[in-house]
Amino acid sequence: MAEFFTTAIIVSTVASTFRFATSYLYAAIGETFGQRSGVLNLGVDGIMLLGAFGAYYTVLKSGNLWLALAVAAAIGMLMGLAMAYASVTLQAEQGISGIGFYLFGLGLSDLLFQKLVGTPLPIDGFPNLRIPLLADIPIVGEMLFDHSIIVYGAFLLVPVAAFVLNRTTVGLNIRAVGENPEAADTLGVSVAKVRYFTVILGSTLAGIGGAALATELGIFQQNLTAGQGFIAVALVYFGAWRPLGVMFGALLYGFVAAVVLQLKTLGVIPLGASDLAAMLPALITILALVVAVQRERQPAALTKPYERGE
Amino acid sequence: MPRPETADRAGLDLEMRGIVKRFPGVVANDHVDFDVHEGEIHTLLGENGAGKSTLMKVLYGLYHPDEGEILINGHPTTIDSPRDAINLGIGMIHQHFMLVPTLTVAENVTLGLRSPRGPLLDLDSVSERIEELSATYGLQVDPGAYVWQLSVGEQQRVEILKALYRNATLLALDEPTAVLTPQEVNELFATMRSMTAEGHALIFISHKLHEVLEISDRITVLRSGRNVGTIRAEEASRERLARMMVGREVILEPEKPPVEVDGVRLMVKGVRALSNRGTEGLRGVDLDVRGGEILAVAGVSGNGQRELAEIIAGLRPTTAGTVAIDGVDVTHADPGRRRDLGLSYIPEERMRDGAVRDFSVAENLMLHQFDKPPYARHGFLDFAEIRAHCDLLIRQFDVKTPNPEAPAKTLSGGNIQKMILARELSTNPKVLVAAQPTRGVDIGATEYIHRRLLDQREAGTATLLISEDLDEILALADRIAVIYEGEIMGVVDRADANIEQIGLMMAGIREEAGSTPPAA
Amino acid sequence: MKQLRNWTPAVLLVVFALVAAACGGGSGDTTTTAGEPAAEPFRIAVVAPSASNDLAFTQSMVDALNMIQSEMGGASAVEVAVTDGTFVVEDAAAAIKDYASQGYDLVIAHGSQYGGSLQEIAPQFPDVSFAWGTAGDTFGLPNVFAYEAASHEGGYVMGVMAAALSQSHVVGIVGPIEVGDAKLYVDGFKAGVLAQDPTADVKVNYTGSFSDVALAATAAESEIAAGADVLTGTAQMVVGAVGVAKEKGVLWFGTQADQTQLAPDIVVASQVYHWEVVLRQMIDLIKGGTLGGNAYVIDLANGGEVISYNPGFDLPAEVKQLGEDTIAGIKDGSIAVPRS
Repeated sequence: MAEFFTTAIIVSTVASTFRFATSYLYAAIGETFGQRSGVLNLGVDGIMLLGAFGAYYTVLKSGNLWLALAVAAAIGMLMGLAMAYASVTLQAEQGISGIGFYLFGLGLSDLLFQKLVGTPLPIDGFPNLRIPLLADIPIVGEMLFDHSIIVYGAFLLVPVAAFVLNRTTVGLNIRAVGENPEAADTLGVSVAKVRYFTVILGSTLAGIGGAALATELGIFQQNLTAGQGFIAVALVYFGAWRPLGVMFGALLYGFVAAVVLQLKTLGVIPLGASDLAAMLPALITILALVVAVQRERQPAALTKPYERGE
Repeated sequence: MPRPETADRAGLDLEMRGIVKRFPGVVANDHVDFDVHEGEIHTLLGENGAGKSTLMKVLYGLYHPDEGEILINGHPTTIDSPRDAINLGIGMIHQHFMLVPTLTVAENVTLGLRSPRGPLLDLDSVSERIEELSATYGLQVDPGAYVWQLSVGEQQRVEILKALYRNATLLALDEPTAVLTPQEVNELFATMRSMTAEGHALIFISHKLHEVLEISDRITVLRSGRNVGTIRAEEASRERLARMMVGREVILEPEKPPVEVDGVRLMVKGVRALSNRGTEGLRGVDLDVRGGEILAVAGVSGNGQRELAEIIAGLRPTTAGTVAIDGVDVTHADPGRRRDLGLSYIPEERMRDGAVRDFSVAENLMLHQFDKPPYARHGFLDFAEIRAHCDLLIRQFDVKTPNPEAPAKTLSGGNIQKMILARELSTNPKVLVAAQPTRGVDIGATEYIHRRLLDQREAGTATLLISEDLDEILALADRIAVIYEGEIMGVVDRADANIEQIGLMMAGIREEAGSTPPAA
Repeated sequence: MKQLRNWTPAVLLVVFALVAAACGGGSGDTTTTAGEPAAEPFRIAVVAPSASNDLAFTQSMVDALNMIQSEMGGASAVEVAVTDGTFVVEDAAAAIKDYASQGYDLVIAHGSQYGGSLQEIAPQFPDVSFAWGTAGDTFGLPNVFAYEAASHEGGYVMGVMAAALSQSHVVGIVGPIEVGDAKLYVDGFKAGVLAQDPTADVKVNYTGSFSDVALAATAAESEIAAGADVLTGTAQMVVGAVGVAKEKGVLWFGTQADQTQLAPDIVVASQVYHWEVVLRQMIDLIKGGTLGGNAYVIDLANGGEVISYNPGFDLPAEVKQLGEDTIAGIKDGSIAVPRS
């Protein structure tokens, strides 16, 4: 156990945490917008997969990482448009249609991968961007300021999202529509427009989250996300629908995952127990969720389609 | 949108001409004419389903009329959405508040408006202006408070502020007094008068006749979607208005002969119970109801009335205290046992708890006793006997149904209530719990239900009447208990009761001159 | 009515998605190399979970079949049909059944997860020969062959070389779940490292998932943080670990297929499977009328396992010699690799 407390290992564990949390964070922040406006999008994982494949394939063919991000974002936008059409315009049952989108993304991303690529050839992701001065701070510098731009982007997104939700008219509209769409409607706020906006924004971020995953790992594979999108949805509950809370959730999840793996590597967790330990991050998240859900109220109109005059 | 200015723009005349709005199977508004002018309070009066809400939704752009036109200051105008209505200076205070509880007062007020700072909120300037408006119209409320922290009365002020902030010069208030204590009603009326003094035009929607008479300048009565007449308040009386609403003479104050009071039939002692939210809904309630009397429980909705009815009916467990029916402790008895002891129950949610929607009227009438003789023998139902009994009840209680086999859900609210009443009273109960027996019921049915409850009183039944309608309580009760936050604030004899005192207790101020509400 | 309207789009979506998923995974790529009409070709079909060019498990079988085909005289003599990408077991079962009913001589269920389906299907087609791998069990059915790899042998050889190359004397292994072929390989590799360098520290990390690439990457990061300068790993998700190794510049040993392409700078060598060794035997038996019953193992001695060196990696001659000596020792029995 003492071996765990060496500088190199602690630095690596914390750095891994941030990297690991990145794709979750994009997806979960995006989902936060949707849920705050009353739309539960369970298709996040499928959208991430399509975004991941889109980004991977773009890099493979063009080598252009920024183009890859744009492609992933565009895929997310399209999926968001479809999801919004289903959940807002058609008023589909959100849980069911979300699962539909997930399966669609899972299947289509794998189909495209097998048809167009097949061999999981590696790609180069965004290079690490050492922040001048800050990265030179001993220990902390390496933990926090020696990551790729896509990792920084995820964490910069958090205050931006919080600001948009709490300090702007758009954010106010989102919060109102998620709590009492009828009230917003009577004040001339278009519930449908707001929800289209949040669902498309959320899906776009999910697409970017997928791109983050594919470029950070430098690879694509069938079901690359391995359920990250579902964890992201859980993180929104965990974070009590607040960007900062969601970020802490993502970091906690990433940290537990990194620590568990590090402890396995060091043999602190014996081989026989390693499958059990693999469940720890999910277990801790579920426990935290149970506590969080008892403490916090979800947006009152979450999962409820809105129809005027009922 | 320009920054709202105080009363500069006041002065708006509205005329709605020949409004027709049809829904499948009904004409909700049938060529309705309605107008309201600057500085005036024009009341829209009518039973549930008479078309008041539809007319207001047309005015607010939520519904599009099939025929007719709307003139604003003499100009024909189309109102396609609430935003159009707002831009025209029309504000709507909905019966169910259109507030977002998790937002602050200022956020609720500014919702949907442009901010002077572009995409950024400017809550400071919003709060400033709210305070100005509060001062002008006597609408005290903290702009930084969250709406969920506010009392019902305060929430209503926020609703009015929302409209005023949007520079509304015409305000429609849909049943604004339904949830208020008498004192809060007085405050609201004062605010309304100060608004008309500033030149606003107000539409007041209510079915409480004495309030309508008190506040209105003119009164328009709707019945079955038609305008049956517009009269000045001076020409109106309760009887006349009731006649216009129902289309026949209505006895508003039924006769209440003195009745010899019997022993205690229902006893509730020190009862505590949890509410659905897990908070303490009842905090030590003591009540006695004697045979031949009606004890009414008054209070603003949500102060423990539902819990009280349910612990007596056996539908909610108590956490402390005892309940006794006819001297038998039934604290832990199931509902069936309580019925056997002579309890009947008219539940508040009549469609959810009182009737089975998809069962026929006959089945609903027999729900409680189809398995008992003479309707069932040795486990077999005697359909002839059941049919005869149902026909009798339907006739006796004037249940308007095409036939006994019609599903309950096809009946109107008033007839469903009569059906439940028939079932519950047919056993000649020793104890009757009637929770909001006339809420949402038309005046004709209300009149009938009141008479039945008084008949039952003469027959020696101990009745616990739970109502939010003070007029009903004053008309029927022998004694009045006021409930506030799960406690009984006091019990007064009807003869000694005055509205002022009951209103104070409804707001949590105790009878015995003590002015501190109990700790929350 | 309203209920119905609310549900219809959701249901349609699910149906649509399921169809898409089925297309994505299920009916994958079916390529048939038809034989000349004159001769009666030997017909082989394979159903496999991932893409034919996955540089791993599926590709190893497809390559082997192509080799068999050219050995036996090309498309006129052997017809090969491939259904790949059937990660959904039900889809694979449908494909297996399909091939069997079309009268293929040998239907290969290339995935241990297909065993249950095969056990039901094989008895329905007593005239068709089936092969199932990687597995050691024929269910006692007369028309089922089983095949697996002695992956611990190649693992051991590479473990010896890894120990010789490690400067830090710390070697890391990333595995999925501690079962089957993965466990065999991981244990063999570890034994090899310790045989060469008894003081070496072997960090074994089973991530708990065959598919979670991000987890495999993080596991590799943790091993490198703990000092490892040579890594290996097995199963589908291991590409994540290869990526980290590449980024951090530590050495990598691959298995199941030649992984040089994944990271040409750091891959030292890979254990490659040549299933044609056992396929030849099966085909001979089938032609002779025996449709199954045997369980085959490919290993170093029968040539089914080959250590393939990365020509682009500058492997010190003495280390390569060490590897070759170990291979020779295992083949002649002087080195016994413990099989866990």
